[in-house]
Amino acid sequence: MSRLLADLFTPQLLGATVRLAAPVSLGALASVVCERSGVTNIAMEGVMLVGAFCAAWAAWLTGSPWLGLLGGAAGGVLFSLLFAWAAVSLHMNHVVAGAIMNILSFGITRYLMVVVYGHQGTSPSIAHSLQDYRLAIPFLSRVPFIGPALFDQTPIVYLSLLAAVLWAWIYARTRLGLSMIASGEHPMALETLGRSVLRVRYTAILLAGVLCGAAGAFLSIENADSFTEGMTGGRGFIALAANIAGGWRPVGALLASLFFGFVDAFQLRAQSLGIIRLPSEVFLVFPYVATILAVAGFVRKSRPPAAVGKDFTVEGNGE
Amino acid sequence: MKLSPAPRILVIAAIALGAPAALLCLASYFWGLWFLLLSLVLIVIERRLSLGAQAFTAAVRRALARAAIPVGGIASALLFGALIMALTGYDPIVSYKALFYGGLVRNWNVSVLNATPLIFTGLAVAFAFQGGLFNIGAEGQYYIGVMAATWLGLRLDLPPLVAIPVIYAAGAAMGAALNGIPALLKVRTGAHEVITTMMCAYAVRTLAPMFIRANGGDPAVTTHPGATDQVSQQVWLPLFKDFLPAANYRLHIGIIIAIACAFLVRFILMKTSLGYKIRAVGHNKVAARTAGISVGKITVASLLISGMLAALSGVTQDLGLDHRMFQDLNAGYGWNGISIALLARNNPLLIIFTALLWGVLDAGGQFMARTAQTPNAIIEIVKGTVLFLLLAEVIYEKIGGWLGRLLLRRFTRGRTGADA
Repeated sequence: MSRLLADLFTPQLLGATVRLAAPVSLGALASVVCERSGVTNIAMEGVMLVGAFCAAWAAWLTGSPWLGLLGGAAGGVLFSLLFAWAAVSLHMNHVVAGAIMNILSFGITRYLMVVVYGHQGTSPSIAHSLQDYRLAIPFLSRVPFIGPALFDQTPIVYLSLLAAVLWAWIYARTRLGLSMIASGEHPMALETLGRSVLRVRYTAILLAGVLCGAAGAFLSIENADSFTEGMTGGRGFIALAANIAGGWRPVGALLASLFFGFVDAFQLRAQSLGIIRLPSEVFLVFPYVATILAVAGFVRKSRPPAAVGKDFTVEGNGE
Repeated sequence: MKLSPAPRILVIAAIALGAPAALLCLASYFWGLWFLLLSLVLIVIERRLSLGAQAFTAAVRRALARAAIPVGGIASALLFGALIMALTGYDPIVSYKALFYGGLVRNWNVSVLNATPLIFTGLAVAFAFQGGLFNIGAEGQYYIGVMAATWLGLRLDLPPLVAIPVIYAAGAAMGAALNGIPALLKVRTGAHEVITTMMCAYAVRTLAPMFIRANGGDPAVTTHPGATDQVSQQVWLPLFKDFLPAANYRLHIGIIIAIACAFLVRFILMKTSLGYKIRAVGHNKVAARTAGISVGKITVASLLISGMLAALSGVTQDLGLDHRMFQDLNAGYGWNGISIALLARNNPLLIIFTALLWGVLDAGGQFMARTAQTPNAIIEIVKGTVLFLLLAEVIYEKIGGWLGRLLLRRFTRGRTGADA
């Protein structure tokens, strides 16, 4: 038994946890940014998908995965702009607007697949993925156990870790962070101070677009070397759950995402070791069940922002 | 106001004529359209007689004004799609010709077959919406319905008149049970149903291949991997062909069940106390609670019924068309159900028409991809654009306001010198 556990819980498992958590944690941070500023964003799944496509496309066109990452982020921002317009300027119900964005994202990526590559399904492989730019930070990566997991990773994984810490700092120390929190808790107060709720919410949604675009890029050009239709596999929604489980806080969301990453990594490891003879589907279902449990278990312990999901107009007193 | 006898006879005649005519149209007997038109004319005459001249003109004007936005929105979305096609090197005119010829004439029966499951999932989403809930996992409930129908269809040895209702009931129960998880979690812990219904759908979809392997789809032993064995012919739904010989051989009576379900849902929502409570909770939870309605119970009830409706979609598809479960698990009934419900503004009877519209677009899109080589994903973009344009009411206010200001500026220019 102990032999079995030793086989299962290796430093590699920890490394895979951090790696597989990256897209969820970027998405969860995007969700934190949106919800703290008062926007319920279920468009993230779609934004990630568009980001993944744009990243693979840009990397394929230019031959550089770095430009691919840039392309993914740009695609995410552009697509999010439409969501921001719908949810903030056109006062559409946020969940409805998000659902429409998801529907549009499936169509756009499928159409572009045919237009760009001439076929549906999976795009051709790119020559260099971001996997080739693995960077082991000197000294730190030698720390036993957590060293290789945290400090011997690929670019977007570092980005996911840094972004959460940076964002916690922004909330704690900057005017922008304060405005965003106010926009989610009491938008009228923010408006009274002469700052535009509309502008703050646009900023939040577009930033979330960058993060989701990067998450998509992780899926298509870092964890793989091509785009596959529907490759996000519900990570946008899992990210939403990680945000809730993390109590609407950047670092909390990161920790919750690490839990999902662990579930994923454990699933892969247990399956490849073949220690438990079960059909692979039983393992694949873990993340979804874990998500349900996480939302159900944690939601009571923290409070969502007061004005989340509520439309804001100056005349309507923010209701 | 009491109806005088003449209008009442007209209404009865219109229904007696319209219902069979609609049936004929669904079965590709296109001459049924004339009778449908005649029935419409009868209704117009009846309205004119019972409303009087002035009120009638006002009603017509209102109806036209109400139709302007949907028609304008769909037309703009098609134009937008044409623009994209033109920009990416496809001929929009050839494509759209193929789309509408394929969807409305050549493959009309495919359109009807497409619409059948969509009516159910659309109703499922709309039912939850009416209760203020988002059931975005209808796809999962659809699959559980297919599983229930396949499992029983492979084993049940009963006369069709008993077996089919039993399968429908079992499917509904499974759909309700699956949606019971999000419902209970919502009431007990406050977990948002958007996440939980979606995750349940992903879980069911992930586990489905196990079910298929266990029911005859094991690649090690079968010649048809990726699909279960065929269910017993006894439980197949009757075909239109049985009573309308020229109807397409695949067209089954599921569409009639779906339409009946739409009327039933409308009845439940509008005429029963449960429906009233559901709408009250959907409208304003606090007011509903103050009025003594148990919000938790109503929330559970609307999610359970919503799950049932979505599962019926799968049962109908299985018994009527597929007769087995396929592993091709990307049908998009969930998201399309959301679109259809949103487009119909959660009105159960309008859902019949929006589902048919979606069915036509899908069937026509396939025909277009085959004959004009235009990728049918453009249809998904058009659908999304239609939704966007029809749900963003503010756009029209803005366009109206912008036009108004433009006119105002033209008329006041030079007199006041004021800027807008």
